[in-house]
Amino acid sequence: MRLQPAESAPPSAVEDFERDRRSVLRRRRIEALAGMLVFSAILVASFNHSQFFSADIGGDPLGRIGDFLGRMNPKLAPQALLADRATKGSLAAWLYDLPLWLRLGWQTVEMATLGTVVGAIGGLAASFLCARNLMPIPAVRFAVRRSLELIRTLPEIILALVLVAAFGVGPLAGIITLAVSTMGSLGKLFSEINEEVDPRQLEAMDASGAGLINKIRYGVVPQVLPNYASYALLRLEGNLAGAAALGIVGAGGIGIELQRAITYTEFDTYLAILMLMVGLIFVIDIASEAIRHRLIRLGGPE
Amino acid sequence: MRSPAYVRALAAAPELLRPNWSRRLAHLAALGLTAAVLTAMVVDLQIAPGAIFSGVDKLGRFARVAFPPTDGGQLVRILRALAETFAMAFAGTVIAAIAAAPLGLIGAKTVVSQPVVHFAFRRALDWFRGVPSLVWALILVSAFGLGPFGGVIALALADIPRLAKLFSEAIENGDARPLEGVRAAGLSPLMALRYGLAPQVAPVIASQCLFFLESNFRNAAVLGIVGAGGIGFELQERIRVFAFDEAAFIIILYMVCVAVLDTVSQRLRAKLA
Repeated sequence: MRLQPAESAPPSAVEDFERDRRSVLRRRRIEALAGMLVFSAILVASFNHSQFFSADIGGDPLGRIGDFLGRMNPKLAPQALLADRATKGSLAAWLYDLPLWLRLGWQTVEMATLGTVVGAIGGLAASFLCARNLMPIPAVRFAVRRSLELIRTLPEIILALVLVAAFGVGPLAGIITLAVSTMGSLGKLFSEINEEVDPRQLEAMDASGAGLINKIRYGVVPQVLPNYASYALLRLEGNLAGAAALGIVGAGGIGIELQRAITYTEFDTYLAILMLMVGLIFVIDIASEAIRHRLIRLGGPE
Repeated sequence: MRSPAYVRALAAAPELLRPNWSRRLAHLAALGLTAAVLTAMVVDLQIAPGAIFSGVDKLGRFARVAFPPTDGGQLVRILRALAETFAMAFAGTVIAAIAAAPLGLIGAKTVVSQPVVHFAFRRALDWFRGVPSLVWALILVSAFGLGPFGGVIALALADIPRLAKLFSEAIENGDARPLEGVRAAGLSPLMALRYGLAPQVAPVIASQCLFFLESNFRNAAVLGIVGAGGIGFELQERIRVFAFDEAAFIIILYMVCVAVLDTVSQRLRAKLA
């Protein structure tokens, strides 16, 4: 049964509506179709250009992966598990350089920590310079904001390559890389937090004649400290994984051993270092997550 | 000296105005301890101030060489490498998204309501999330030989656990009532997912995929360094022979491309939201 148009609405209104609806639907369908076409075109071009299906990878990829996993197996022998290094199949033979790996693992943690701290301090300074409610000069805000954006666009590994060339192979290049990219991301996040503080406290400080430094110290910091700490810890987790990877280009830490194991085709060693690395990241993640949840619950606006 | 207002305040809440020495001491001690730990780390890593100065000096020299940037007559080759990097990022993201979709469903509390399965699955994802794409690339390149194939798989493997976690969170955050409604209408579980869940989570998931595409394009330069081809390889070659004018050209071009992709993707994400 068709609904009769109400008396107040002339038949043409319903026709207008139907026509509009049809055209909107048609436009949406065309848009979706065009989107699908563009997406498929990029997808085909991508697979084609990355030679995903056409590259010579030695045939039988699944077999190769299986073969590879087999070679990564340390082939521990149960009866010789606790024997000395010279015995094949013992734990000591598999983890033959464990003290060095642990030291490099600790070095990676140190790199991530120092990089995060330096970067957070830099980001803090930058965040006050580009927060709308704290920095009265628009030109400074603009310049700081654009520089932070520039840093965020620069891929970490490229920065590491240049810095390793300048500062030499070692943890210093890695720390500076992490500090710079941390500053880029935390500077932005911190300034967003700064802009969301309660303006009434800042007005009260203005009214009592406080300068910029005092305004930040007594008006902003008490409100935002838990959020700052939470973001910095989140970044620390990311930086630990980053520090582990940066070692591969010579920026210090455990990555260099990973690279060496591959170069010497010691795949069982690779597995050992990888497990150590992932374990390290896992532990730090859990610890930092626990602290973050506490910080947010204690200090967050509820 | 003391104003009447101060005296009144002191009478009302003396503990707020009197300096709290024990608390100040505790703060100072915590600060000192942190500083000591950080200094110990610096000493342990054997970072000398001299190394910093000579490094900054070298950076200045690099910068002088870098201007003006030049393509060294290899513009086509560089553009092709850039396209290859983008292709790796795109293909890797799509593969990761397809593989992560079922994993995200399994990881969502609202879909698989078996707590033991949920816990074990989430922890396994956490474990794999610790492996950076560079580490995957290292091993895949030695398994499949030099070339972008290993790079695509490496990006996908690094993204799958991360996307799966985000997907399952998006699914958990979805409203359960449409799902119940579709189930109550007697549709199969698969249809319930399609009509009760997909319309809610599809925009969220699509925007996360775009975000990962951005970050993959930025990180895909890494893959070239371990031999998976693309712009990273070209760049490393230039830096190795200290050809910083050509390196600067590549870096600037790459950053422009990253910025363009970020802008396009941000537009699309804003449209989805």
